[in-house]
Amino acid sequence: MGLEQFKNRNVGTQNYTMVDAGHSPQGAMCQFKQVVKRTFKGELFVGLWVTMRSMIKALFANDMHTVKYPLEKLPISPRYRAIHDMLRLLESGHYRCIGCGLCEKICISNCIAMDTRYDENQRKEVSEYTINFGRCIFCGYCAEVCPELAIVHGPRYENASQQRAGFSLFEDMLTPIDKLNLQQEYDGFGAVSPNADENIKQTPLAY
Amino acid sequence: MGVHNSINRGKEITLTIDGKKCKSTFGKTILEVARENDIYIPTMCYLSKVKPIASCRMCVVNVEGVEGTILSCQEKATDGAVITTNNSELYTERQNIMKLYNVNHPLECGVCDQSGECDLQNKTMEFDVAEQPFTTKEPHRPIQNWGHVSYDAGLCIMCEKCVRVSTEITGDEALQLHFGGYSSTILNVKQEKNYASLGEAAAVCPVGALVDTHFKYRANAWELEKIPSSCPHCSVGCQMNYEVRHDKIYRMSNEAEFTSLCGAGRYGYDYANHNVSKDTKAFEDAVDAVKNAQSILFAPHISNEEALILQKIKEQTGAKLICGEARGYQKFMQAYASVTGKKLFGGTLKGISESKAVIVFGTRINDDAPVVKYHINMASKWHRARVAYMHPLEDAEMKNIVTQFIKYEPQSEEGVAALLVEMLLRNVDVSQNVKAFLDDLDIGNLSAESNVGEEELEALRKSMLKKEDFSLVIGADLYAHPRAEQIAKILALVEKYAGFNVVCVPPAGNAMGVSLICELDDKATGKTVGYNVEADVVLSALGNGDLDMPALNQQEGTITTVDKRVVPMHVAQPYGGYVLNDIANALGLYAEYTIDYTKTLPVEKGFKAVEFDALPDYFDSVGNEHRGYLLDVCHTEVEEMFEEVDEIDAFDGAVVYICNPKDQFSAFTNLCEPLKEEPFLLGSSQFATATKLSDADKVTFEIDGVTFKRVFKIDTSMKGTIALNPTYDMGLSAPLVSSYRFSKVKMMQDKKRGS
Ligand code: SF4
Ligand code: SF4
Ligand code: SF4
Ligand code: SF4
Ligand code: FES
Repeated sequence: MGLEQFKNRNVGTQNYTMVDAGHSPQGAMCQFKQVVKRTFKGELFVGLWVTMRSMIKALFANDMHTVKYPLEKLPISPRYRAIHDMLRLLESGHYRCIGCGLCEKICISNCIAMDTRYDENQRKEVSEYTINFGRCIFCGYCAEVCPELAIVHGPRYENASQQRAGFSLFEDMLTPIDKLNLQQEYDGFGAVSPNADENIKQTPLAY
Repeated sequence: MGVHNSINRGKEITLTIDGKKCKSTFGKTILEVARENDIYIPTMCYLSKVKPIASCRMCVVNVEGVEGTILSCQEKATDGAVITTNNSELYTERQNIMKLYNVNHPLECGVCDQSGECDLQNKTMEFDVAEQPFTTKEPHRPIQNWGHVSYDAGLCIMCEKCVRVSTEITGDEALQLHFGGYSSTILNVKQEKNYASLGEAAAVCPVGALVDTHFKYRANAWELEKIPSSCPHCSVGCQMNYEVRHDKIYRMSNEAEFTSLCGAGRYGYDYANHNVSKDTKAFEDAVDAVKNAQSILFAPHISNEEALILQKIKEQTGAKLICGEARGYQKFMQAYASVTGKKLFGGTLKGISESKAVIVFGTRINDDAPVVKYHINMASKWHRARVAYMHPLEDAEMKNIVTQFIKYEPQSEEGVAALLVEMLLRNVDVSQNVKAFLDDLDIGNLSAESNVGEEELEALRKSMLKKEDFSLVIGADLYAHPRAEQIAKILALVEKYAGFNVVCVPPAGNAMGVSLICELDDKATGKTVGYNVEADVVLSALGNGDLDMPALNQQEGTITTVDKRVVPMHVAQPYGGYVLNDIANALGLYAEYTIDYTKTLPVEKGFKAVEFDALPDYFDSVGNEHRGYLLDVCHTEVEEMFEEVDEIDAFDGAVVYICNPKDQFSAFTNLCEPLKEEPFLLGSSQFATATKLSDADKVTFEIDGVTFKRVFKIDTSMKGTIALNPTYDMGLSAPLVSSYRFSKVKMMQDKKRGS
């Protein structure tokens, strides 16, 4: 792209419309008059009535406009980035994380710590995994980089806890095994696109 | 020395690579010239330290006037050649090679230990291979655990580097190629031996096929901080990197392209003195003890700077400095220098690897200094060198390279040295003194006493005819010999008159540095303080003394290597206690850090006045070593004074030989989990008969005042009536054992085990 269009600073004929902003009062007397006039106009009571009507509706007709947090919560967007979830494989129930360490590497605030080991089944086992939520900035990079869709952002945004370590261990984030059937695929940052199937090229197999 | 330096042989050539004029010398390959000139040619199978493998074809180039492509890794550069390293055809050819490497290669970088430093990963990206277009039926090839290393045939690209290292470098000859199209694999034909030297093969493996079992899946390459250092276990002082994360050493690596580590160096890293804090009371007591000590005993596993501090303490308090092994070496080298006129021997390890014949004398070299054995192996494999192994005890591990084993009786080394020198100098012009000495030798008698047949030496002489570039490797048996000084003078003649590349392998750790820096004494008297040695008051890095000291991977400093190089060590593990320098400061010396002493190491002994922080530590792109500095050659007065060869009082019957197994050097290596092995008194069945011992018998005996309680084990690969007795498990007492390595001991057999 050339820069010509940026260099053309002739923006053409202008059509400005003046907005009628009324007249502002001139002098102290006029200002005083305006205040008095506005104060005693019925508008005040109109406003008070609106409040009153909502209160009556809320108290007696059970018709309310706000959410009764924390008894009620609004649904949040699947793209919302809150406390992480660690997902499991649906078939085997094994955690998805393969211990590749990419999330640890990419984490911009350096708050993921993990350790791995060679387990009895010749697999790489994740022996430690914690996120320090005192430092996490919920940027979503970890979820995006994860090749296994193992670490994702969950909907849990209430970060108060009695302990700093609360909900930051691997087990805390991992889908409870008895809730595996309730595990939701993540749609947010780093998730597969809806048309992912079309883009997949199968690795050829000789058998 | 020049004769051994074949690098500079050959004439100047000029060639053009990618339009750049490159000057070099004849004899180098196109790839070498390109690397010298910072021109990049991709390779997959090339490994600088072995002969070109030429199995990958990635290094193809075009040479003007030559049809087709040429493998730059094995083709010698010629004068005037015009070479193109890259064009679209070469690119496509390389891309196709990468496609083939990726056939069936599992997509498991996510868990693979090599990820992040994998040549296959890198080159696959470099040549833009985004898919695996071909496939073949995958045979079932389970992961094999070979002990120190594990092999995953599924990841192997059959580049052959590991096999070449195992044959050309380490000489364990454990690995072999098994061809079979896409089911080709590497075989370990000596699995039962669990060679730690296979760690070398794993180090050069460009992919994750061959990895350290101890390290497997524990950390990713990019998380580990590489701390460059030098191995303090034996006198070779190999280059190495501690790979550290969260203050923990995960593994050792090295510049595997150019240099090697032995098993102890690679797996013996976890010996730090952990969790030490400052114990003021213990420190004050230790300072007092040092102040009042009449003798300071120490093990040679210390840095040059610490040796200098001890020397300064000696100058201040007048204490004697006792380090048995280093003392023997010091006296040996002083006697040696009185003949050659130079303070140190002239040979180098590189010189050994370039030799056409190597004589090994007075050392069980594969156990004493495995990396020196690697160099003898290189000579054997590259130049089909004759290797004469002169020792009372045959070594089964050396069989594949030794062409002639010359056996002599223990304690007859002086006679053997005389016989050897007489043979080597037979047609050489020598000085009057030497001539008189040689003429005086009673060859027949010496030969009879030492049991070395004249015909054996004659055969050796014949095998060396019409060859040049010879090496002589001398070891620790001789330094502690009662006639060490005379032996040194005799063997010095080999360097002086026969032009041999002579290497006197120091007996332990930094024995060479210590012997150069300290004025050592022979016998301890009065109150003693020991540094890593048993004494009245003990300063110990092993964690069991009166005051804790840092281990060598917890402190900065330099060590002196067999190549006469002063190389730096860096801190790999945290340490919170006192160091030797604190004691020295409390005694009135002043230096803020131990390394402040680096620049004051004695210049008259060949050291240079260089700051520690100014010491370089790298290999350049063609493998030249820039680590620390080489000791200057120092001259001394020449006096060729020989005594008459002493009456030989050879041992016969059952004899014990002090010798650690090849993966163990000291109490420090003994702390390292991967190297753990049971100490045994190892002997042949002949030894068992002579001593009326049977397998698994417990015996007690004493050497140099140290009591050994050993389980006897019969080793069927051994012969004769000499048994091997290790000291690595003896902790603080080990350094006390420093007299002649062969001894006739009184064995007390413990009660027979109940049946
Ligand atoms: S969301 Fe960002 S800051 Fe938080 S753990 Fe992931 S990568 Fe680190
Ligand atoms: S990126 Fe995913 S698979 Fe890799 S370690 Fe993190 S959570 Fe596990
Ligand atoms: S060998 Fe290299 S390419 Fe193969 S899985 Fe390991 S890291 Fe990936
Ligand atoms: S194991 Fe490694 S070094 Fe050996 S042939 Fe296979 S890829 Fe090459
Ligand atoms: S580098 Fe030349 S063939 Fe592999």
